[in-house]
Amino acid sequence: MDRWFLITSTLLAIIGGAWGMVSVHRGRRSRWTVVWMVGVLICQLAFLSIRGELRGACPLSDRGEILAFLSWSLTLFYILVGPAYRISLLGVFTAPVVVVFQTLALLPGTLEMNPGKVIGGNPWHETHSATSVLAYGALALAAVAGVMFLVLDRQLKEHHLKSGLFRNLPPVRELLISLERLLWLGGVLLTIGILAGFLMPHDKSALGHLIAALAVWTGYAVLLAVKSVRGLTGRRLSLLTVALFILSLGVFAFV
Amino acid sequence: MELLCLGLNHKTAPVEVRERFAVGANKLGESAHELIATTGVTEGVVISTCNRTEFYLVAPDAREAFRRLESHLAEKTALYDHATPHFYRMEKSHAARHLCRVVSGLDSMMLGETEIFGQVKQAYQAALEAGATAGVLNRVFQRAFGVGKKVRTETSIQEGSTSVGNVAVDLAEKIFGHLKNSEVMILGAGEMSRITAQSLVSRGARSIFVSNRSFDRAVELASEMGGHAVRFDDWQRVLERVDIVISSTGSPHAIVHRADVEKARRARKYRPLFFIDIAVPRDIDPAVGEIEEVYLYDIDTLEQLAGEAREKRLKQIEECERIIDTELAKLNLPGT
Repeated sequence: MDRWFLITSTLLAIIGGAWGMVSVHRGRRSRWTVVWMVGVLICQLAFLSIRGELRGACPLSDRGEILAFLSWSLTLFYILVGPAYRISLLGVFTAPVVVVFQTLALLPGTLEMNPGKVIGGNPWHETHSATSVLAYGALALAAVAGVMFLVLDRQLKEHHLKSGLFRNLPPVRELLISLERLLWLGGVLLTIGILAGFLMPHDKSALGHLIAALAVWTGYAVLLAVKSVRGLTGRRLSLLTVALFILSLGVFAFV
Repeated sequence: MELLCLGLNHKTAPVEVRERFAVGANKLGESAHELIATTGVTEGVVISTCNRTEFYLVAPDAREAFRRLESHLAEKTALYDHATPHFYRMEKSHAARHLCRVVSGLDSMMLGETEIFGQVKQAYQAALEAGATAGVLNRVFQRAFGVGKKVRTETSIQEGSTSVGNVAVDLAEKIFGHLKNSEVMILGAGEMSRITAQSLVSRGARSIFVSNRSFDRAVELASEMGGHAVRFDDWQRVLERVDIVISSTGSPHAIVHRADVEKARRARKYRPLFFIDIAVPRDIDPAVGEIEEVYLYDIDTLEQLAGEAREKRLKQIEECERIIDTELAKLNLPGT
C-alpha cells in the first residue's frame, strides 16, 4: 500500500511538471502547478506516515525512505516558498527533481519490502535524521532556484527574450533573494542536524559520516559567509549552490 | 432608432484640429448631456483621448442627426466647414464594429495599447451618470467591453512592448522585479533618457541621479524629475549604488569603460547592474557587457525587440477582426 502512494505521488509530479512545461512553452504561467504539487505532497505524507507507523519511528531507515523524505521536504519548501514569491515556475523545475528522487526510491531493493520496527530509537538520532533531510530539501530547492537563475541569466545576457520560459521566469533579484533565504534555512537546519548528531549515541563507524557532514556544513557556511561579507555574482552563487548540492548528495551516497 | 458614430482621430485629423475637439475627462458627462439637449438625439456618449474624439448617438434619422451634430460642433469649435473633411461617420453595425475595434486597441496609434479600454469605460460611465444613455447605448457599450476583453485575452494583441522606452522598462522589471527598491542614473540629459527615466519612475523607481557635462542642465532635469544632479566627474562614485544606468550623451566615443565598472563591483557587492545605452555612437564599451552581473542593451537591440513586438501585434489583427465579427454576429444589438 505504501508503495502505491509513492507511485501515485511520482505520477502526479510527472503530470504537474509536464503540464507546467507545456504551459510555459505556450507562454502562459500554469496556475495548476501548485495544485498538482499539493497532490504530490499529500501522497508523500501518506507514504511517510504508513512507513513511520511500520517503523515506529521517523521513516529514515533505508535509502528509499531517505529519498522519499527528501522529496517530501523539497515539495514542502516549494509549496511554502513558491507562491509567496510568485514563482510558481519553481514547481516546474522542482517536479523533475522529485520524479528522479522518487523513481530512485522505487527501484527494486531501495525500499525495504517489510520494514521492521526500529529498535533502541533515540530522540537525538531522530532529530538528526529529520532535520538533516529537511535541510537537504531546502538546499535542493535552493539549487533548483540556482538553475532557474542560470537559465534566465543566459537568456538576458544573450538577448534571447522571446521564449515562453523567459516570459514566465521570475525576476533575477527575486530568484536570488529566495535562493539566499533557502540557503540560510538549509544551513540552520543542517546545523541543528549536526548538533543533534553529536548528541546521539554513535560508534567509530560513524566517523566518516561525521566528517562528510562537517565538510558539507563548512562548504555551505563558507558560501553564505562570502555572500554576506564580500558579495557574489548571481552566476557564481547559483553555480556554487548547484555544485555543493550535487557534491553533498554524492558524498552521502558513498559515505 | 439607429446607432451612429461621428468622430475624428489621428488618422483623419492633425493635432491642431483634434485639440479643438478635445473634452476634458471631468467634462465627458456634461458634454454627453449637452449632446442630447442641443442635437435632439435620444442617447449620447462622448469619448475623448489625445488621439480621438468620438460621439456615439442614438437617433431616428441618421442624416438629420449628423447634420445637427456637425453644425453644433462647427459652431462650438469655430472651425465651421474646415472640420467636416476630418470627420468619419458610421451607422448601425459599422458603428458597433468600430466601437469594438476602438475598445480592443485596433484603431489606436500604438496598436493594441491598453489605456484606451479604460478611457472608453470612463467616458461611458460619465455619460451613464449624466443620464445620457439608455437601452441602446447601454447594451452596445457593455457588449463592446465584453468583446474587447475577449480580443485581449484570446490574442496576443497587447503582448510585448512596442517602444524602446517600454522595452527598457520591461527588461528592468525582469531583472529587478518591483522597481521601488531600484535607483537609476542618467548619463546625458537628452530627451530619450528623460522619457525612459520617467517610465522607470512611473513604475516606482526609488531615486534618480542625473549626470551631464553641463551641470546646469543636469540640475534642471534632476529637479524636473525629483532627482539629484551629479557632476560629470562624479558619476563613477554614484555607480556604486545605482541599479540601472541610462546613457545617451552626445559623446563621439565611449564614456563607460570596463575598468570603470570593475572598480565599482566590490562596493556594489556584485549586485546585478542594468545598462541601457541609447546613444549613437554608443556610450558604453561593449566589453562592459562581458562582466558577469552586467546586462547591457544598446539602442539597436532595444529597437529590434520593440520592432518584433510591433510585428507580432500586426499579425494578430486578422484574428482580432474575426473575433469581433463573430461576437457581433451573435449579439443582435439594438440600433444595428
